[in-house]
Amino acid sequence: MEELVEELKKEIIDVLNLEEVTPDDIDPAAPLFGEGLGLDSIDALELIVLLEKKYGIRLATPSDGKAIFKSVNTIAEYVQKNRKK
Amino acid sequence: MRTVITGVGIVSAIGNDSSEVLASLRNGESGIGTMRYLKSEHRELPVGEVKMSDDEMKVLLGVPRERLVSRTSLMGALAVRQAMKDAGITADEGLRIALINGTTVGGMDITERYFSELKHDDTLLPILRKHDCGSSTKDIADLCGLSGETCTVSTACSSALNAVILGAEMLRSGEADIVIAGGSEALTKFHLNGFNTLMILDKERCRPFDESRAGLNLGEGAAFVVLAREGETQGRKRAYVSGYANTCDAFHQTASSEDGEGAYLAMSRALEMSGLNGEDIHYINAHGTGTPNNDSSESMAIKRVFGEQLPPVSSTKSYTGHTTSASGAIELVISMLAMENGFIPSNLGWQHAMPDGILPSVGAVSRQIDNVMCNSFGFGGNDSSMIISRYALRDIPATDSGVETETVSESVISGLEQLQDSKDIISPRESRRMGKLLKAATLTSCRALAEAGVDSPDAIITATGLGMIENSELFLEDMCENGESLLKPTLFMQSTHNTIGSSVAIRLGCHGYNVTYSHGADSWAWALRDARRLIQSGCAESVLVGCHDESTQQIDEFCARMECKKRPDVFSRSVVIKRKR
Repeated sequence: MEELVEELKKEIIDVLNLEEVTPDDIDPAAPLFGEGLGLDSIDALELIVLLEKKYGIRLATPSDGKAIFKSVNTIAEYVQKNRKK
Repeated sequence: MRTVITGVGIVSAIGNDSSEVLASLRNGESGIGTMRYLKSEHRELPVGEVKMSDDEMKVLLGVPRERLVSRTSLMGALAVRQAMKDAGITADEGLRIALINGTTVGGMDITERYFSELKHDDTLLPILRKHDCGSSTKDIADLCGLSGETCTVSTACSSALNAVILGAEMLRSGEADIVIAGGSEALTKFHLNGFNTLMILDKERCRPFDESRAGLNLGEGAAFVVLAREGETQGRKRAYVSGYANTCDAFHQTASSEDGEGAYLAMSRALEMSGLNGEDIHYINAHGTGTPNNDSSESMAIKRVFGEQLPPVSSTKSYTGHTTSASGAIELVISMLAMENGFIPSNLGWQHAMPDGILPSVGAVSRQIDNVMCNSFGFGGNDSSMIISRYALRDIPATDSGVETETVSESVISGLEQLQDSKDIISPRESRRMGKLLKAATLTSCRALAEAGVDSPDAIITATGLGMIENSELFLEDMCENGESLLKPTLFMQSTHNTIGSSVAIRLGCHGYNVTYSHGADSWAWALRDARRLIQSGCAESVLVGCHDESTQQIDEFCARMECKKRPDVFSRSVVIKRKR
């Protein structure tokens, strides 16, 4: 799980082009949207693409992402359970 | 002076001329269905296609089949020819006839078809000359024998209505005797996939203002109106253009604000210009795309303007699909047909009221309709609204050509190295989504405004030849090489030409007039003319005008193979123009 959390941090920094953010700056339990990294709805769409590309998980609507994208930890838990690759 | 509409032309999913469109609207027949002409993998997505192949349109226009013409230009030429015929004008009347087209896609249908082969086949290179918006407008002019001025407005989905606004303003200032204005946009895989990455396309037929709405369906088409000054035209007056406004939501590149500020301002200012009250509007043709966000934001804005007593409102996008850059003109023509024939088009497919939403009209006949409001909103919050009327309303004062303007500040970036010291203006958080062009445009805009001592200008005008070409190319490359899935939403969201001007507006919180010209090398001249016109008509005191373009490695390579001059990696010039004291 820890490995997956670290992998996700790197992927998120990469796909969202978070300049000047390192994996260590991201608290895996902290909220990603609004506060914390301050991500927005377009970032959520990028994360949906990331889930499908990297883990073969397909979300039907952006609203499905709300609960999943709360924090890096919640994404990791969801990926662990649902990954197809 | 008053502007009148003397003729119209329309090509859309519900008909190839205005009588067919009228019949479909009256019979409640939608033109949205399974994809037939667009060659996309996403056949699950319903679309509103014009029911003609490119070749069939070429036959109608008398264009040889082998001549390379974009679908945007073909549809545009059909609509312009209809409009000229309807108005009873010909190209050689000794009058100054200007053609103003609104488009964003331009020749993308051709580019995406050949993009992969272009990299190694020199014989295909000439098609690149058809890519930019300006060239598609010039092709429409050629196909209609029009040799006067041409211009292209590109504010994404509000392009066509802004083209009509420009036309009306050119008549007001005396720059033209007749203006043929509207928009044309073909469906392409590029923007179908782009909208798909934003997850706002419904797999069923769209249901604007319905609680169950789940997105829009893309459509295509073209519509043009012939505009003239009242009293100077022999033809019939089909409608008066009595009010209009262009504003900016200044909120987000692809989402509308919750309270619909931009839409509210556009509708209120259009009403103010016309001198009408809310109760004088007998029908509103809403932008109503069918996305959860647009329809709730637009509902809020309509309620803010009209209070409890709403006029009948409907969206006609469940007939035509969302025809993006052409939608403003297509829906303006539909608004006029509704007014002339005394009926309210039904908001097809609507069943369930949305919480806090407007209740759209399910259609009505035998109505006296004197004034119609037509809304057209675009990415970047480029929101416009127009009112057309059956009877003459107040006289609109002509532009005062005696008012002089001056450029009070200027900032230029002409190379990548000048983007180094940007940190004082652009934070890392903003920078992560900005390519070189957006960075350069932001820097020169902020510097020019600071030098002029202007916090927020009254208007922002952008000129660009190719627009956000780096993002467009990356998206296109990914789509052509890796197929139509897993594409990046951020690239598409920032691929429209108006991304630049709206991103400056968002940063400044500037809700004023906001427009983008994409008409090749003439874009800058058109932008400057607009700034002068705004100041001379008293609509603005200070205007930020920018000229922004970029190149990419791929474009440099194409240019080298075509033996054209290399384009600068990045170029941005911003000036602040004020009324001369």
